[in-house]
Amino acid sequence: MADPDRLLLERARRAYEMGRLGAALRWSLLLLPAVGIALVCCHNPGPTLISGAGLVLLVAFCQWRGQGYRRGVGPGLVAGFVPLLLPILAQATGHVCASGGCLLFPTVCGVGGLLGGITLGVLAPRPRDGRAIPFVTACLIAGVAGSVGCLLYGLVGLGVMIAGLLAGATPVLAARRA
Amino acid sequence: MDRATLSELQTQMERLADGDRSAFHPVFAVLWPLLRRFAARHLGPEEAEDVAQEALVKIFFRAGEFDPSRNALAWALGITAFEIKTLRRRRLRRREDAVREGSFGRLRDGAQTPEMEAMTNDTERMLQEALGALRPEDAETLRLYARGERPSLAAATFRKRVERALTRLRSVWRTTDGRP
Repeated sequence: MADPDRLLLERARRAYEMGRLGAALRWSLLLLPAVGIALVCCHNPGPTLISGAGLVLLVAFCQWRGQGYRRGVGPGLVAGFVPLLLPILAQATGHVCASGGCLLFPTVCGVGGLLGGITLGVLAPRPRDGRAIPFVTACLIAGVAGSVGCLLYGLVGLGVMIAGLLAGATPVLAARRA
Repeated sequence: MDRATLSELQTQMERLADGDRSAFHPVFAVLWPLLRRFAARHLGPEEAEDVAQEALVKIFFRAGEFDPSRNALAWALGITAFEIKTLRRRRLRRREDAVREGSFGRLRDGAQTPEMEAMTNDTERMLQEALGALRPEDAETLRLYARGERPSLAAATFRKRVERALTRLRSVWRTTDGRP
């Protein structure tokens, strides 16, 4: 290939990557309102901010990379938004824990995780022919999205939500595999 | 372009839109000569090369948003056609600017020395005075004529009015300036 053509090829390749990156960032910025609501509701914004930024970056990366990575974004977000929004809604009811033994918020995280897990089990692309990327991406995004909501209740909320996700997704995936 | 190449371009473009980087080179290899030929049909060789390059870069910039239900070739040619149109519009605008610049340039050239500038100013002042001494209709006719415009009149009628106005202007000019 002649030199001018090689230069043009490089320029076109850069343009392609920049175009994809721009589109991916625009797409992932749509998540900001959800992250913003979680930030407004929480008393300790540090961990929520970190997981929110992680979610936005993870989604942007998957959208930019495309192919299997992108195919996992939709199911992951749908499944992850259940445990993201439920704790926020519970917080919005104005319930105040009267004693240290109140289990409302961990239960909300657990139920959110369980529902999200079932959704994930139904929607996540099946890992087949050794191609597990869409499935892994969907699980990862669901987990990170759920953590944005459940970190409102600290590490207990996060742990219960992950347990719920696993408990919800595993039987559905096993049933789909059978 | 044969059917097989068209179908191959469509397939590769869909893969590229999905994020498959291995489709980049085949799409480039098909599109680049095609766009160059397309642009050369509408523009001169140098401009065609530039426009084809710009179009190609834009196509790759937007490749991630390519809708697989669309025809890849029509999509790529549409972007190139838009680039050609943009260049033509820019060229037309540049030409208009050059004409405008040229007329002012001539005025500036005519007033290079202080003497010439003073003479030009005097002539302009006298002309304005002479126009002011004319009937408003005649002055307006001459202004329109100088600007190359024509009111909603028959061409012959306007020409007649211009002739009459010029005759009157000469007459006024003689009396105010004292020149034959």
